[in-house]
Amino acid sequence: MTDPSLMIGLARLDFGWITTMHIIYPPLTIGLAAFLFFSEWRWLKTNHDEWYRLTRFFEKLFIINFGAGVATGITMEMAFGILFGPFSQAAGPFFGNILGYETITAFMYEAGFIGLMIFGWGKIGKKMHLFATFNVMFSSMLSAMWILDANSWMQTPTGVHLEKGLFVVDSWTDAIFNPNFLTAFPHMLIACFEIGLFFVASVSAWMIYKNRHTKLFIRTLTTSLMALVIVAPLQVYMGDALGRTVAEYDPAALAAMEGHWHTYNADGSPNTSWNMLAWPNEEKGTNDFQIAIPHVLSLLEDHKWVSTVPGLDQFKKADRPPVLIPFYSFRIMVVAGMALMLLAFWALYLRIRGQFSATKLQQHRWFLRAVILSSTLPYIAVWTGWWTREIARQPWIIHGLMRTSEGVSQMSITAEIIWFIGFVFFDLLVWFGAWYFFSKVIHKGPDMKTAVIHGVTPETMHLGDMPDEEASEGKPLFVRPTV
Amino acid sequence: MQHIMNITHDYQWITLVWWILIGLFVVIYIILDGSDLGAGIYSLFHADSEEKGSIMASMAGTWDANETWLVVVGGSLFGTFPIAYGSLFHYLMIPLMLVLWGIIMRAVSLEFHHYSERSRVYWDWGFGLGSLIVAFFAGVSLGAFLQGFPVSQTTVPTFTGSYLAFLTPFSVWTGVTATIAASLAGGVYLRARFDRKSDIYHKALKWTNVMFYLALLAILSTVIWSFIQFPWARNKWIGPYWWAFVLAGAVVLYATWAMRHASHQKRDVSAMLWLAVIVFINFAIMMVTIFPWFVPDTMTIFDAANPSNSSGAFTYTMLVFVPVMLCYNFYQAWVFRARLSKLAGYDSHA
Repeated sequence: MTDPSLMIGLARLDFGWITTMHIIYPPLTIGLAAFLFFSEWRWLKTNHDEWYRLTRFFEKLFIINFGAGVATGITMEMAFGILFGPFSQAAGPFFGNILGYETITAFMYEAGFIGLMIFGWGKIGKKMHLFATFNVMFSSMLSAMWILDANSWMQTPTGVHLEKGLFVVDSWTDAIFNPNFLTAFPHMLIACFEIGLFFVASVSAWMIYKNRHTKLFIRTLTTSLMALVIVAPLQVYMGDALGRTVAEYDPAALAAMEGHWHTYNADGSPNTSWNMLAWPNEEKGTNDFQIAIPHVLSLLEDHKWVSTVPGLDQFKKADRPPVLIPFYSFRIMVVAGMALMLLAFWALYLRIRGQFSATKLQQHRWFLRAVILSSTLPYIAVWTGWWTREIARQPWIIHGLMRTSEGVSQMSITAEIIWFIGFVFFDLLVWFGAWYFFSKVIHKGPDMKTAVIHGVTPETMHLGDMPDEEASEGKPLFVRPTV
Repeated sequence: MQHIMNITHDYQWITLVWWILIGLFVVIYIILDGSDLGAGIYSLFHADSEEKGSIMASMAGTWDANETWLVVVGGSLFGTFPIAYGSLFHYLMIPLMLVLWGIIMRAVSLEFHHYSERSRVYWDWGFGLGSLIVAFFAGVSLGAFLQGFPVSQTTVPTFTGSYLAFLTPFSVWTGVTATIAASLAGGVYLRARFDRKSDIYHKALKWTNVMFYLALLAILSTVIWSFIQFPWARNKWIGPYWWAFVLAGAVVLYATWAMRHASHQKRDVSAMLWLAVIVFINFAIMMVTIFPWFVPDTMTIFDAANPSNSSGAFTYTMLVFVPVMLCYNFYQAWVFRARLSKLAGYDSHA
């Protein structure tokens, strides 16, 4: 028999890797879909062709991102059963059904309308096209809802009971609207908008920085950054709300995130110190060193000056999550979120001072550079946030009910390593490919030459309406959208 | 094997409906993506770079929708047959992993081919190789599935074998068969998709003729092999309902003749539809042969099912959504139904 802890560790690494490489794409899909709907709606409303050009330009980036998301996402659908078979069997009655709902009511719905959105230009009417874009936006959000629901239920598994090794659903309402879901879903959804908006802002800022198509991109830069003035602080607020949900339902996870070992000080008073930086020592059950500020922890978790926050010493050693990664990944996420909020405020300050025109912004080189670089931070925040969430839930796969060691497939180390190496290769291929083609499309800039497509015209109607013979001669036939 | 829980009478029929539905999803996936995969395999052997581009272009609007059926299979299997999902996929770890790698390679190639210039040749190869890998290892998975797998004698049966348990001469042979069958489907698809004056249209005819006889041989030998190796199949086929299988076999033979006839008369879409009928009936015969097993000799449909009461709501949802999904899949194929010429590469309108 091989070492079980190595096998479990590798299974987690295998799954963690494919999840990490998948979560890069869907949030941008969701955020960008919302943006596409907005810009197309502006086009229909104002009849300014700039909005059409912008929609078509960002749509190209959207397609690349969506393709990468599908390529990495099909893996996820199968990986539960492969890597965590016993978990899938036990949790199937709830978890599997929720993923089933996601596939049927969101994924298929989205795939259908994306086809119409991408290939439908000139083949369906303008309003019908906007409707397709709306459905892409809506279905992608629905998809995020189901996925977050399944994941949140692993954090707070309400509405079920265990019977002969399987989870039986007692109340669908309790299970679907589990406490974690109510704060985690908004937190994730806002993260998607934030990624989308910063992505748009970053591309627009680069264009203005390079003095290209400034008339177009000042529109998107202004819109995205002004939206972020609301979205970025809202995200900080939602993060705080989620933090308090975790404190209430999974105090061990919260203690790990904060490196909080001792519930009480040596003199018996509640330990309210918040560790800004620390180096946890899991053997000794304390921090080797820490920079701590009194009262901040109780203010953060309970919004009170003094309160008892359970430390890791309240939990058996076997029930304690690892501390190092949750502690630091949580901090990185928070810093990233704060930095993005400050950047949005900087933009607001410039806007108030009347600096938001292309020529004036070009004088603020550092501001534009900051916005260009800002698009990396939401990704880092999503990654670190997700790692915090998944690792701080350990050693449970379903909190309090099923341990990760009980949920893992009994696999050979060799197979796990082959899996890992293969997916490192293919997922990096997808990632580098996506970014390479992003940069290529961005570098090329929006297409300003092709005529604007206003609904259905004889030139753009689909070939099926033409006789067979005619279609084969003359102009080369369409396949991709008539770009 | 004992039932994990007492399934009430109502849920027995829900389970049965789901078994049929999932079978339906699988066969829809095989029919739709089989052609795409086969066209990819064809492109490995018979096409210059421009032709490869136009083959990819021919499925640009539909390949991802076709693949979504695979995701539907995964999602609904997880929801309604979690016992099978958790053990079968664990057993099939290696072939499914390779299928996934093939799918990723193919998806990336299809998407990136459009934007590339210097790197185009790699995406051409990625598309063809990815298709070949998916077809072969999906066939291997099917063969391994038919063989069954060892499970633990616990209330929830988990897979207990080695990660190479899937690999046998039979599963390798079903992999070969699947590759040949997909190649045939790909040829038939290309005949229907490309302009009658184009080179591909004529080259695909030769390809289709060769693949037709190879497929006939491969499938017949798989049937004979199954008859010899699997008692559950043999007993069903020569059991009291032997005449039903003979009848179904006769329908398959007629459909085969009709496909060839349509193909000779250049009614290419009809040929494609007859091929779909053949695949559909063959798959149905397989399902009936396997019944009441979910995985032959391993777990019955009721052993594999979601043992709790949660499938009911899911069933009603599906009854609404499946027709909708079928409608838009059809609509998509309809929008992109026109024939293509070689010129219709991605780049012709960039």
